[in-house]
Amino acid sequence: VGLTDVLLGRKRLKKAAGDKLFALSSARITLDVELGLKPAGTGAVLFKPMSSAEYVRAENEMQELLEAVAQESASRVTRRGDEFGFEWLIVEDNDFEELVTSVHLVASELAAHGFGEQLLAAVFRFDGGDHPLYLVYGFKRGAFWPFIPMGEKERDNANELELKAKLEKELPIEQDLSRWFALFDAPI
Amino acid sequence: MERKAYGRDFGLSLRLGTTMFVLGLVYVAFFVILLTLFGDSIGIFGIVVIMGILAFVQYFTSDKLALLASGAKVVERDQAPELHDMVERLAGMADLPMPRVAVIPTDIPNAFATGRSPKKSVVAVTEGLWNRLEPREIEGVVAHELTHIANRDVAVMTIASFFAMVAATLARFGLWGGMFGGGRDRGGGAPVWLILFAVSILTYVISYVLMMMISRYREYAADRGAAVITGAPEYLMSALQKIASRITQIPQRDLREVSGMNAFFIVPTSVKRGFAELFMTHPPLEKRLARLAEISRQMGRPVEL
Repeated sequence: VGLTDVLLGRKRLKKAAGDKLFALSSARITLDVELGLKPAGTGAVLFKPMSSAEYVRAENEMQELLEAVAQESASRVTRRGDEFGFEWLIVEDNDFEELVTSVHLVASELAAHGFGEQLLAAVFRFDGGDHPLYLVYGFKRGAFWPFIPMGEKERDNANELELKAKLEKELPIEQDLSRWFALFDAPI
Repeated sequence: MERKAYGRDFGLSLRLGTTMFVLGLVYVAFFVILLTLFGDSIGIFGIVVIMGILAFVQYFTSDKLALLASGAKVVERDQAPELHDMVERLAGMADLPMPRVAVIPTDIPNAFATGRSPKKSVVAVTEGLWNRLEPREIEGVVAHELTHIANRDVAVMTIASFFAMVAATLARFGLWGGMFGGGRDRGGGAPVWLILFAVSILTYVISYVLMMMISRYREYAADRGAAVITGAPEYLMSALQKIASRITQIPQRDLREVSGMNAFFIVPTSVKRGFAELFMTHPPLEKRLARLAEISRQMGRPVEL
C-alpha cells in the first residue's frame, strides 16, 4: 500500500495470487511418505458471489466460466453454495497434478471474469489420518495453512502445528497463526 | 492460620521495597536538579502541574480507559452467570468486594484487571480464555487478577509512572527549546536546554527500567496471591503455559464468517500485538513457573514440570 493510498483512504482489496498453488505437488509427496496422507481427489475454490444487483450478469459469467474450464480440463467441476452465502466450485480429479492445475484454472478464470477480488481460498482434501486434512490456500495472503476438523467445532491444533513444521520447506505456510481460520463443513 | 505464611515472600517484598525506594530517589534527584536550574522561572513547574492534572484524570478514568482500549464489555450476571459465580467466589476468598466483570470478544486467551481501588475495579477476561482453558485454570488466572486488585497495582503503577511521564515531556520541551533557540545561556556553560534534555532523558530511562522491575515483582506477587487464593498453583501454571503457547493463536472461527465481517482482512482480526507489548512488563514464563512450582512444593501439592 502506498503512502498516498493510506492518506487518501483508498486501500484496495488485494488481487489474488494463485501461482503458488503448484507448490502442492512436492508437498503431496511429503504428506504421503512421512504421514501416510493421500489426496482425496477433491479440491475447491471458495469465493463470495456478487451482490444481487449483479446477479444475472454473474450467473451468465459463471456458466461461461464452467464451460471454458470443461473445455480445457478433464476434471469434473460442480458448483454449490453454502450457509455462509459463499460459492464452492468443486473440482474432482484422481490425478493430483491435474486436480491442482484445474483448481488453478478455475481460480484464474474467476479472476478473468472479474471475480478476482472475491476469491477467498482454494482447498484440497487429504485422507489417511484419523480426521480429514484440508490444506487451505488463502488467495489474499498467498499462503497455505492446515485445517483438521474433529467433529463439529473442534480442530486438531497439535497435528496442524506438526504439519506446519513438516511442510514449511515445501509450501509457503501462513506464519501468522491467528489467520489459520477454520472451514467447518467444507463440502469436499 | 498457617496458610497465611505462603502469602508472604520476604525476599520479594525486600526487592520490591528497595526498587520503589530507588525510584523515589531518582525522582527526588530529578526535582532537585529542576529546582536548581529553573528555581527562578515558573514555566517548568507549570508543565509539572499540567502533567499532574493529566495524571489525576488518568488515575480516575483508568478503569474506563482500559476497558475502552481493549474493547471489553462489562457483562451483568444474567449474561455470564458462571463467570460471575467464579469471580464472586474468588473475590470472597481474597476478601475483596465483588468487582465488575467484563468480557473481551477475542479468541486469544488473556485477562486483565483495572481500577484504582478495589471498589472501582473490573476484571476482564477474553472469550478465548473462557473457551480454551479448564475451569480450574480460569480460576487461577482470575485469582491472579484479583490479587492485582488487592495489591492496588493500578494505583501503584500510575503513581510510579507519573514522574517518568513528566521527564519524557520535559525532554521533548528541552529539545524544542534547543531547536528553536528558546534556551538561555548561563555564562558560557552548556546551554540550559541541553542540561534539561540530558537530565530528563536520564531520569526517564532509569525510572522506566525501575518501573518495569516493579511491575515484574508485582506479577510474581500476584502469582503467589493466586496460589494462595485457589490453593492450587498447578492450575495457574498450566493456564500460563496455555496462554503462552502458540496453539491458542489458531482461531476456532470459520474463514467465511470472518471474511464477511472484515471485508477480506482489510482490518487485522487480531489484537495479539497489543497483548505482546503488555507482556514485556511481565517476567519470563519459565521464571514464573519455577516460582509457582516452589510455592506448590511448600504447600505440599503435586507438581509436574
